[in-house]
Amino acid sequence: MAHTSETPPSGERRRALAIFVNTVVALIGGGLSAVLGAFALGPRASASQGRWSRAGTTDDLKPDEPVARVLSVSRVDGWYRARARETVFLVWDGDKAIRAMSATCTHLGCQVRWEAKDKKFRCPCHGGVYAADGTVLEGPPPRPLQTVEARIDPSDSSVLVRL
Amino acid sequence: MKRLFEWLHARTGYRGAVHVMLDEPLPPGTGWFFTLGSVLLALLSIQLLTGAFLTLYYAASPDHAYDSVRFINAVRFGAIVRGLHHYGASFIVVAMVAHMLRVIAFGSYKPPREVTWLSGLALLGLILGFALTGYLLPWDQRAYWATVVTINISKLTPLAGEMVAGVLRGGSTIGALTLTRWYSAHVIFLPAGLVLLIVGHLFLMRRQGISGPVRARSGSPSAFFPSQAARDVTMVLLVVTVLAAYAWHGAPPLEGPADPTDATYIPRPEWYFLGLFQLLKYFPGKWEVVGAMAVPGLAAGFLALLPWLDRGPDRDPRQRRVIVSAVAIGVASVIALTTLGWRDRPLSAASRDTWTLREIGGRVFAQRLNCTRCHSETGLADPLEGGPSTRGPEWIAGHIVDPEMIAPGMREPPAAIHEREAAAVAAYARRAARDAYPGSSQTVEMVAPIWARYCVGCHKIEGDGGTDGPDLTREGTKHDAATLRRWIVDPEQVDANAEMPAFGDRLNAAQLDAISTYLAARK
Repeated sequence: MAHTSETPPSGERRRALAIFVNTVVALIGGGLSAVLGAFALGPRASASQGRWSRAGTTDDLKPDEPVARVLSVSRVDGWYRARARETVFLVWDGDKAIRAMSATCTHLGCQVRWEAKDKKFRCPCHGGVYAADGTVLEGPPPRPLQTVEARIDPSDSSVLVRL
Repeated sequence: MKRLFEWLHARTGYRGAVHVMLDEPLPPGTGWFFTLGSVLLALLSIQLLTGAFLTLYYAASPDHAYDSVRFINAVRFGAIVRGLHHYGASFIVVAMVAHMLRVIAFGSYKPPREVTWLSGLALLGLILGFALTGYLLPWDQRAYWATVVTINISKLTPLAGEMVAGVLRGGSTIGALTLTRWYSAHVIFLPAGLVLLIVGHLFLMRRQGISGPVRARSGSPSAFFPSQAARDVTMVLLVVTVLAAYAWHGAPPLEGPADPTDATYIPRPEWYFLGLFQLLKYFPGKWEVVGAMAVPGLAAGFLALLPWLDRGPDRDPRQRRVIVSAVAIGVASVIALTTLGWRDRPLSAASRDTWTLREIGGRVFAQRLNCTRCHSETGLADPLEGGPSTRGPEWIAGHIVDPEMIAPGMREPPAAIHEREAAAVAAYARRAARDAYPGSSQTVEMVAPIWARYCVGCHKIEGDGGTDGPDLTREGTKHDAATLRRWIVDPEQVDANAEMPAFGDRLNAAQLDAISTYLAARK
């Protein structure tokens, strides 16, 4: 032991010891706060690409006519796997190209419907209207309908949608 | 800045509190031995903090606990936070024992500090309660089986055994109710008790003053800050650095999800309970209660009564040989038992690296039964291979027999499935979650489903299967393929006393050829 506590430390020594104590406390406290703070902020953003889901075959589709498909997708929510149902509209050009659009209105998230009469998507909530290609025609929606990656499997002409 | 503190002091008088906390008068000669309490306090604070933060992601349900703990490892710094909490528990046990031995060696429990000593013992009990309840929370194999053992030991409690076990278990089996109960204890009741007791323990420590060196030295008391505080934080820094190194080194172990049906799992307690675990081995049968209850109970009673057993005024250990040697013998026994328990570990049967026939058979069934229609890269469900499964075995078994029950919305209900096929698929699912399929020859893939469907109930190969019939691991050394084929077709044709049923009408010629050739080749 460098000194005994019988004699109180001199002023200079006292200051040095005080700085040492405060530094260690700050070091441990700061380190722990940094680790716990980052931990609380949440998981690393994972580059989740979504998975290809089958959405029927082109036999069920009419060229250039949006058809609604309800797909069941498994959503990973942290440690929880939820099964979500999602509606997508498939628009087939009659040949090899297919487009898929989410049925969720970009305004406040209601589900749009396809009105075959006037060939428009109409949102039941606040009067948003979209053209067959998803562009906004009328009403409050700020963006066109979200497009979803889609392709046709040439081997069995089934439609694959990435959700 | 200075003015801000002045203002704060004028409004709160905080400097008084700081003065009370830091300028505690210490007897002359207080030194490094008296830093252990601070180390313990620091470790407990870290434990309380990391534990509070872990609850951000933890879910106390048998379906999700394991997933959520595994998820924590994926969160930024998650493995480190878990590591600090997991290894911190062990550090606390060590620091606590060191602190207690220091108190015993210095005779610090002598009047007027008997109640301080008792509150310390109560803290020790609480901390062991934390260790026990926290162990279950990850809901992995270790957690589950350690709890099975603990609850079975609690049944040995005289008179109220079943009641104690029932209270610990919550429900009729170890499951959801046990988990929520132990979780509540771990994060609410025990911490509340711990904080109260620590406050009481520190209050008493300050009220009596610390005991100081065994022989009072001359000189006036000195303040805690900064000399003793510097010693305390040096020790704390040392211990926390080692703890951080452990946590940094990697996430604490997490085994497979709890599987109550796994007969191959060998439960082992955490190291600080190994001594007790070993002790039980010396008290077989009806004497078990001696090892489980009487010996630990006597030890606890001895510790609680120490201030009254050790009545002399002298605190110097050299003048208290009987007590000091009794404690030394106790410590030596605990160390010896722990070492014996550590070394006495059976080889794990779970370390097989080849797939069993049943698992391979399960893979074949899974394909035949169209499991892969949904469980594929493009399907609704996760692929069966290449990703860890976090579902418990009952869930998997229930799902195989009736996928619709657990995954509603399946369009075609599957064909009825034989229970052995379901068991094989479950074995396969468990295996595929751990290891990639190494591939097998066509013969093996032909034989495996036959084996898993018809043979495995009574026969064993390489440790997997039933025990009613002989072990067929090295059947080729006893019989050739032709004999085996005749035997399988109709055992009574070969031996009139045979008990095995005939399989001639259940297997086709190709299957009979395959299984008999396969068995004959096992030498």
